[in-house]
Amino acid sequence: MQRGRMKGDAKRGTTISFGSFALKALESHWITDRQIEAARQALTREMKREGNVWIRIFPDKPITAKPAEVRMGKGKGNLEFWAAVVRPGRIMFEIDGVDEKVARASLALAAGKLPIKTKFIVRRDLVTA
Amino acid sequence: MKSITIEGQLRTGFGKGATRQLRSQELVPGVIYGGSAEISFHAPAKAFKNLVYTPSFQIAEVKLDGKTYRTILKDLQFDKVDDKLIHVDLLELVEDKKVIADIPLKFVGTSKGVKDGGKLITKMKSLKVKTLPKYLKEQIEVSIDNLELNGNIRVEDVKLDNYEILNSPRIPIASVVLTRQLKQEEAAATPAAAKPAAGAAAPAAAAAPAKAAAKK
Repeated sequence: MQRGRMKGDAKRGTTISFGSFALKALESHWITDRQIEAARQALTREMKREGNVWIRIFPDKPITAKPAEVRMGKGKGNLEFWAAVVRPGRIMFEIDGVDEKVARASLALAAGKLPIKTKFIVRRDLVTA
Repeated sequence: MKSITIEGQLRTGFGKGATRQLRSQELVPGVIYGGSAEISFHAPAKAFKNLVYTPSFQIAEVKLDGKTYRTILKDLQFDKVDDKLIHVDLLELVEDKKVIADIPLKFVGTSKGVKDGGKLITKMKSLKVKTLPKYLKEQIEVSIDNLELNGNIRVEDVKLDNYEILNSPRIPIASVVLTRQLKQEEAAATPAAAKPAAGAAAPAAAAAPAKAAAKK
């Protein structure tokens, strides 16, 4: 598979669709399957396994690499990891069923596991009791 | 019904350049349709704040060149990255013309299921209805008093006069589900109940080989 380019902003997946709080990407990057899983674990543990989590990105791009000190040629490198192509504006995680304070803290922990700048966003019509 | 007044101006310039210039001045372009003519206008972004960032359904009275238009919010566009409001669609209300609107739901009362330890889960936040402008209201109240544990309230259970509900009737609006604690309690209670039954079956099983031995 070609590497592709990550020009421009996300075309879809830019609005909150399921939860009340979300984490939005502000930069473009490949997010690996391990990074997504690390973020998910940090998120659910901080939420004390309460509420719901939606992961809005999926690592469907296989990334190959050649081992160190190997000459060019002799075929394609081995599969190293899978990645999701994330562009600015993409909603990566959504959560619901927790209050804003917990949501902010848990999404901040999840953001720490990701290689890009992100921001915390709230659904525009959220009712705060 | 609550209404918000927005003071704006008619747009003179159109196209990419003029729109970008408006947005750079903290102005939001918008359109009013549904009436006799389509009107393009712009208004300060701050004026839309109470209309957009709220859970309640409101009427927007837009004042343009001395004329006032009674409208409802139909669509919004936000910037993908910084989430700034970039365009507003408003639908003009005409007395005898039915409108389609998303009216938020408000759950009133206390459910039986919640009293029994269940958790209320709201699955829909608003209902899509078709009605005359005079019947529009801020929210639709739904009583959840009769909602039992593992029960649902569906769209078909909401009875409204003068409203035509456009959502699919079988879709659940709210439900009460078992909490993890209740599930664990039930699971703990089930083996305890199953044990005596298993105990009763065991002597019977033991008796069967004895009978077979006696036959021999």
